[in-house]
Amino acid sequence: MIAVEALTKTYGTRTALDHVSFEVPEREIFGFVGPNGAGKTTTLRILAALLEPTGGKAFIGGADVTKDRDKVHSRIGYMPDFFGVYDQLTVGEYLDFYAACYQLPKQRRQKIVDDLLALIGLSERKGQLVDTLSRGLKQRACLARALVHDPAVLLLDEPASGLDPRARVEMREILKELRGMGKTIIISSHILPELTELCTMIGIIDHGRMRATGPVAEVIARLTTGRRLRIKVRGPKDEAVAILAPLPAIQNVEVTDAQIEAEFKGDETVVSEILLALTSAGVQVTSFSEIEGGLEDAFLKATSEEVG
Amino acid sequence: MNAVSRAMWNPIVAKEYRSRMRTWRSPLAMTIYIVLLGGLGWAVFSAMSNNGLGFGTSLSGSNYGQILFTFLILFQVALLAFITPALTAGAISGERERQTIDLLFVTRIPPFSIIWGKLLSSMSFVVLLLVLSIPIFSLVFLFGGIELDQMLYAFLVTGVTALTLGLLGIAFSTLFRRTLAATVASYGAAFVLVVGTPVYGLLFPTDVNPSATTLPAPPAITILSPVLPLLSIATNQSFQGYGVRYPNGGFAVSGPCVTQPGGGTLCSGGAVPGKGVPAYVTGSSSSGSAIASGLFSGWQYWQASVVMQLVVCAFALALSAYVLPPVRRLRLRRPPRPAVAE
Repeated sequence: MIAVEALTKTYGTRTALDHVSFEVPEREIFGFVGPNGAGKTTTLRILAALLEPTGGKAFIGGADVTKDRDKVHSRIGYMPDFFGVYDQLTVGEYLDFYAACYQLPKQRRQKIVDDLLALIGLSERKGQLVDTLSRGLKQRACLARALVHDPAVLLLDEPASGLDPRARVEMREILKELRGMGKTIIISSHILPELTELCTMIGIIDHGRMRATGPVAEVIARLTTGRRLRIKVRGPKDEAVAILAPLPAIQNVEVTDAQIEAEFKGDETVVSEILLALTSAGVQVTSFSEIEGGLEDAFLKATSEEVG
Repeated sequence: MNAVSRAMWNPIVAKEYRSRMRTWRSPLAMTIYIVLLGGLGWAVFSAMSNNGLGFGTSLSGSNYGQILFTFLILFQVALLAFITPALTAGAISGERERQTIDLLFVTRIPPFSIIWGKLLSSMSFVVLLLVLSIPIFSLVFLFGGIELDQMLYAFLVTGVTALTLGLLGIAFSTLFRRTLAATVASYGAAFVLVVGTPVYGLLFPTDVNPSATTLPAPPAITILSPVLPLLSIATNQSFQGYGVRYPNGGFAVSGPCVTQPGGGTLCSGGAVPGKGVPAYVTGSSSSGSAIASGLFSGWQYWQASVVMQLVVCAFALALSAYVLPPVRRLRLRRPPRPAVAE
């Protein structure tokens, strides 16, 4: 559905995007991750045909973003990292205005607006001025605006930015529902744990270069190598560290105020041997668990060194 | 809905109407406009009635009408020169500041329609102000001295001036990212258009050719301002004394010319005393409020002004339409070469 080939964007001597390539098949949710200034927004703006690339190509449903802008605009719903609302317009009028801008017939607009408001749970706010909505509700109204012409692709730039946990959960549920409706979604975000749960694919970008891309589990597995244990003990931790450090499987031991983190190599047998070593030496272990390798680790790994 | 209807009533227009009329600012602006215009009319009428402002005692009813009309129409232009840039200077830059412009660009509405919608909604408000002023201007007919066609021409010039100022405002709003900068530039342009060009005629007048058989005319650019055309319409006179310099150094700055019964034109005053340049009577083809020579020879002042302002409008519109789109199809510069991968 979305294909990006060696996309490059330069501003004078500064390179914002450096031969970025990735593909997003239909009905996937692609998480676009990267630090500030990595090139996420630039990529999304190029995909939205709002910015011309210096080089490379990008296609939305086969339509070239530099040549078939009208087709691209009819296929995408773009939600930037700001609200973009008008004062003096109610939520219903706000959506109706954009529906009119997409040249939807007047007879159909009312129903479309009502359906969208029902989808995002804003039906009871239809008559409220859009500028007076809370941040979370405003974000939902903006998502409804991006959906007003029923696009096949959604480009969402930091949709959960600044939202409280409840609003984030609600936004996540809406996005899952949209995926169920057949939408292909690109979502850029800093909130990595949420992306792990929401996205089916991921792309990690840093300094304008795509560091890793592919299915979430695959990327995480590729980037996180060592296994880690989180151990809590009763009493002084020095004794536990003294037992752990000489073990051949242990590679590194870190002590924090509340716990010990030990990096090791090996399978489940090794895990049980480590636990046995501690308990047989009389260390009172209160908690012993493996830290799951997550997107956060993968992200840190990817952005700290170049990965092929 | 046909193409014309779609252009006239695009979503931007409807949205702007709704937003504008929901605030207290629009009714307040209309009230202040009417109060100021009515107040000026009342003040001028009082001054004439009480022999104030040096109007003299021998004014007839038609003089009352003409003087009142002159003051009103010039004041109306001055008011619109203040109001119109305020209406349009934030049209596009305001969308940028609200960060809504990108959201419009990704819809199916073309950039030109955005400009057109903004212009139409602003100009509708100006037209509303002009309509509101009609009852005040109709008082002029109680005294006479002004015909209906003069009124129509004057309103046409005023409307076109507002259109020009509006389009200049939109052009600056498109060029500048910040509304403040666009507003300052728009007011600067309004000042140049309304006041600057007549002043140019005083500073850089046309040199009179002694062997010329026609009356001299001020520099064409001075007619861009609505002031001369409106004075010409109100007084039914031309201004050959304005903006021309005589060969011996005489410098004419004033003195309207009146049509003589025989068809010639008498220009009173104008020459600097002591320079030996007489006021003269000419039997040239020039008559009434027509321009005697130059680029617009034979044209009425208002006709020349309207045409010149429409040219400025076309330029401002084309500039806005070129600058506004996020990705321009027509390039004035060669795009940079793609960066080479390291």
